[in-house]
Amino acid sequence: MASSSVTRSRDVKLQGVPASPGIAVGRVLRLDERGRHQFYYIGVSAAQARMEVRRLREALQVARTQLQEIKVRLTEELGYEHSFILDAHLLMLEDKRLIEELEHEIRARRVNAEWAVRSVADSAINAYMQVNDLYLRERTSDLEDVATRLLTILSGHDKFDLSKLDQDVIIVAKNIWPSTVAELDFKHVLGFATNTGGLTSHSAIIARSLGIPAVVGLHDVTRLAKTGNTIVIDGSEGSVILRPTKSVLTAYLRKRKREADRRTRATADTAQAAETIDGARITLRANVELPTEIESLALFGAEGIGLYRSEFLFLNRLPELPGEDEQYEVYRKLAEATGEAGANIRVFDLGGDKLTLGGFEAEQNPALGLRAIRLSLKVEHMFRTQLRAILRANLHGHLRVVLPLISTITELRDAKRIIADVKQEMAEARIEHNAELPIGVMIEVPAAAMMADVFAREADFLSVGTNDLIQYMLAVDRANENVAHLYQPLHPAILRTIADLVRVAEAEQVPLELCGEMAAEPLQAIALIGLGIRILSLVPGSIPLVKNAIRSVELERVRSLMKEAMNLTSSAEVEELLASELPRQAPRFFQAWSSRA
Amino acid sequence: MQERTVTISNRLGLHARAAARLVRRASQFNSTVELLREDTGETADGKSILSVLLLAAARGTSLIIKTEGDDEERAVNALVELVEQKFEEELSDGVF
Repeated sequence: MASSSVTRSRDVKLQGVPASPGIAVGRVLRLDERGRHQFYYIGVSAAQARMEVRRLREALQVARTQLQEIKVRLTEELGYEHSFILDAHLLMLEDKRLIEELEHEIRARRVNAEWAVRSVADSAINAYMQVNDLYLRERTSDLEDVATRLLTILSGHDKFDLSKLDQDVIIVAKNIWPSTVAELDFKHVLGFATNTGGLTSHSAIIARSLGIPAVVGLHDVTRLAKTGNTIVIDGSEGSVILRPTKSVLTAYLRKRKREADRRTRATADTAQAAETIDGARITLRANVELPTEIESLALFGAEGIGLYRSEFLFLNRLPELPGEDEQYEVYRKLAEATGEAGANIRVFDLGGDKLTLGGFEAEQNPALGLRAIRLSLKVEHMFRTQLRAILRANLHGHLRVVLPLISTITELRDAKRIIADVKQEMAEARIEHNAELPIGVMIEVPAAAMMADVFAREADFLSVGTNDLIQYMLAVDRANENVAHLYQPLHPAILRTIADLVRVAEAEQVPLELCGEMAAEPLQAIALIGLGIRILSLVPGSIPLVKNAIRSVELERVRSLMKEAMNLTSSAEVEELLASELPRQAPRFFQAWSSRA
Repeated sequence: MQERTVTISNRLGLHARAAARLVRRASQFNSTVELLREDTGETADGKSILSVLLLAAARGTSLIIKTEGDDEERAVNALVELVEQKFEEELSDGVF
């Protein structure tokens, strides 16, 4: 249309947290509109009040059925851990007091069912808002969720069924909740953009597990975006462009095409081995957070699971603990899906910036506090329960455990003693299990890196966790935007440390694996294999891309390049060297790759 | 009638999930279950989640649990235990 450019609103660019990579271009569907319709106060006669009570009861029944269905779907699609909160919602809908109060409101005040729901819910929410406790105040969202559901059903607006979207959309919402996810028709969802959330938020994890682009932590995208607007999401950069101008849109469409082409090419290659031109075989394993991701392992050509972040079992249900049987079911799935290639289960990495466990005070400096193995050793029940579940599930495949945040040999010895003890207890109680369970140490604390030879002698394998190793070596919190520029994976100190670890592992003859975001970035992944790493674990979706990078290089040349890199003085110099040399060495991959917009 | 005083000691207070547990447990008994906030005098029906939520008992709140009926003693013991175990959220033996 030839509308004047003066009246057309300009494009708006927002920067958030890149939560799930990729580019999505499409129309906005703003979720908060659902249920936020008008409803009116209607005075009714006594006879009509009886009708209203009946409407209310029917709506309650519909709501219960909906929640039951959502619960089933959610448990199937994302695992039991995500469906737990719906129990509280169901209890509310079954609450005799609440139902009595609603019916009383209709009968005594002669109002329509909608009005009764709204006023009863509002007074409950008001009572909550007055509590001098932030956590409890936030719980009003549960009440509001239930009230909104009832109002939607009562007003007949539930015709707008998210599970039957007829066109592709990009979801814009304050947050993506489990109940929303369960209702969405994912075939038509191209991406997410949310106001709240960080890398470990629900929205982010769900997007990654679905493999769709997402940007979170955008603060007020719901205010700026309207349903039907064109929106661009760049999940790799963390940016969102609303109502893009034609030239911006064209640029992104081109970029999206390039990425799609690369992905098609890469996926087509999954049958091929991750082997360099000169025949060095690299093993690419998957990092897994959610049960749904297990299905994508074969698709992306993962050779087993290098890192299962078991603390995600807690997600959305903290401070409640997952029981032994529930854990067993998940671990058994991992064992069965990975077969000979096996799966590394990192025992709960709770505390710190991750997830916090009830009963423990917030700490002044959580990154250096009671977390990961420290917490498991302190709360031994929890650790033992997890071990029992792992040992039982190990009958179905080849599981290994990895101990996170080990800083002293005593921790490893204590953990091994507990593992041996649990095995013995199970043997005595004649509980079927497979005691052949290799124990690995996560190398992510600088002290452990320096003492790697000592750990190598007492552990079955070592696994370098680069995300935390970089954070602790460089003393930088990558989530803190003031210092994020100092988070430098290619810092020579990091490169030298990794090269040392490779030497130690060879000398002590223990397998060495590496997991972390570095492994998913082609340039950095090549640097890692140049340093001598042979087993990388990364997000499943990035495996084809990294495999292509590996297949395009010669190990010998990359190795001498990294020798040079280790003698440079800064991360910037290393980056410059790699960015100029790799496209020369491997034009087929790196020229195309580095020309991204 | 049985009556016991407890202090909510789990970090998150009587939030939705803890309340759900309490209501489920209370509903297993024939006895009536009443909760009374010592500080404000507000009462709640222990078998109603909304009612329990409305107490909005944060950590540190003192509650009197009153049970009345043929199994009042078992009921009060079970509920006191649940609160003392911090609703089995924290690492009590009851979890596993």
